[in-house]
Amino acid sequence: MTDYAIETKGLSLYYGRHRGILDVDLRVEKGDIFGFLGPNGAGKTTTQRVLMDIIRPTAGAAYIFGKDCQKEGVATRERIGYLPGELSLYNDMKARQFFKMFFSLQKSNTDPGHWQKLADRLELDTSRKIREYSSGNKQKVGIVIAFMNKPDLLILDEPTSGLDPLVKQTVMELVREANQAGATVFFSSHILSEVQAVCNRVGIIREGQLVATERVEDLTTQHFKRIRFNFAKMPPGDAFTQDGVIETGRDEGGITLEVYTHLDRVMEQATSFGITDIETIPVSLEEIFLAYYGKGNGGNNA
Amino acid sequence: MLRLLLQELRFRINGIIGWGLGLSFFPVVYVGMYPSFAEQMESFQELMDLAIYQAMGISMAGFEGFIASTVTNLVPVILCIYAVINGTGTLAGEEDDGRLELIVSLPIPRWQIVAVKAVALGIALFIILVIVGAGAALTMEMITISVETRVTSLDVFLSLLAAWPLAMAVGMISLFLGAFSPNRRTASAIATVVVLVSYLGSNLSGMISSLEKIEKLFLFHYYEATAQALEMGQQTDNMIALLVISLVAFGLALVFFQRRSITVGAWPWQRGVISK
Repeated sequence: MTDYAIETKGLSLYYGRHRGILDVDLRVEKGDIFGFLGPNGAGKTTTQRVLMDIIRPTAGAAYIFGKDCQKEGVATRERIGYLPGELSLYNDMKARQFFKMFFSLQKSNTDPGHWQKLADRLELDTSRKIREYSSGNKQKVGIVIAFMNKPDLLILDEPTSGLDPLVKQTVMELVREANQAGATVFFSSHILSEVQAVCNRVGIIREGQLVATERVEDLTTQHFKRIRFNFAKMPPGDAFTQDGVIETGRDEGGITLEVYTHLDRVMEQATSFGITDIETIPVSLEEIFLAYYGKGNGGNNA
Repeated sequence: MLRLLLQELRFRINGIIGWGLGLSFFPVVYVGMYPSFAEQMESFQELMDLAIYQAMGISMAGFEGFIASTVTNLVPVILCIYAVINGTGTLAGEEDDGRLELIVSLPIPRWQIVAVKAVALGIALFIILVIVGAGAALTMEMITISVETRVTSLDVFLSLLAAWPLAMAVGMISLFLGAFSPNRRTASAIATVVVLVSYLGSNLSGMISSLEKIEKLFLFHYYEATAQALEMGQQTDNMIALLVISLVAFGLALVFFQRRSITVGAWPWQRGVISK
């Protein structure tokens, strides 16, 4: 039995001559809440669509719970709840009718009234036609259909897009609850604070290539350290100028450094100026993400 | 599969009723009006000899010719427009507007999705023809006293129903084009050209000898809108030919949809090419 809910091997996809994803080797363990990060056009949606067998890969293979997404697509999709990034619904139907229809088309032994409980939690009036909904309410419809089957794997493309902060929080609660009930969650998001709050692992995709998959705490602690030194005597401006160290702040009290390499050397240098105080400042996932994109420090750590 | 079929029919129900009633307007008006200008029809005969009318398959000699030229000639052509709209809208249209992504994400094999949509389209076409045929037959009953003809209400009803294989062939070709083409617009454009060329080509091939060699390429060649067909029915081998064309087109739709990358919108040969 495989331990992976999702596994891709050399997954590549081209749209004609345009790159979609390139040689993606991704592993999401069972029970993970996995955040899939990347800017627009990086290949997040493409990867998710390949997993759902909506798009056929040019090369490589994708597996869900050990089963080939293409060859055993029906069996794999029975265990997946999917929220597309570009959600299009049947606008002439009432939400209630739509949920009943969607539920009836899934092979499920789940409580047929579960969608109503989800709709209630999201404060969605299911008696209205979908065309009358705001974009946020349409997104709630998408959330309900993804969760209604109590799936073993949730694949969510930007699940909180267009939602107000309160509903976002509810959606994140639903994600946590599903995970606690045993589901694996694979979702993409641009809201990195949200990913940091709920995910235990993340993958970063850049220009179609997976550049990192790590535990969130490892990523935020190991990628670089941000350290604030207070000195008895301020060091000169070039005191810490070297590869792998960036001085990001300087005031009367001290200096803030981002240390990528040679932490021991930096500590020695700082000590020579008489440290009066030292503080490690937490690095957010957003800063890591920006470091991968803005500063080009994205080696392949996958 | 049955649930999906019922959903498909539910989505189509308004269209079926609308097209059925709207299309009924033609036979009801043409059949109903005939007694009021039956005497004037003879004076139209010279006009009917004009090439333009022959190209349109119109020959109004007598009541049977009039009905064949108007009702059983025009209704299938208009129904073919419905078949093109629905055939291309079924896969390509739903892909264009994004809804197909949700359906394909369900644990349903792709062949079932295509099969269900094809069956639903076939049922829709049949019901529309039943509504139109019933409208024509009822009108026929009302004017029977004032028209001398061997044609019965049942003949008119059945002659309209006999357009189903033609409409089905157009629908299945449109379905295939929807699974093959990058988007609905392209599929619709090609399907419309197929219908127009088939209709005009079939009629012109009776007038232009050089076209006779290729007349079997035109779909409308396999459907007769004549007074004789009104009384005797369509030729069995023609109906079989149309059903075979439908099956082949359906098979191609299955093959291409099975391999299609949904949401990508590209010709088959443009998909998945690794650029070096």
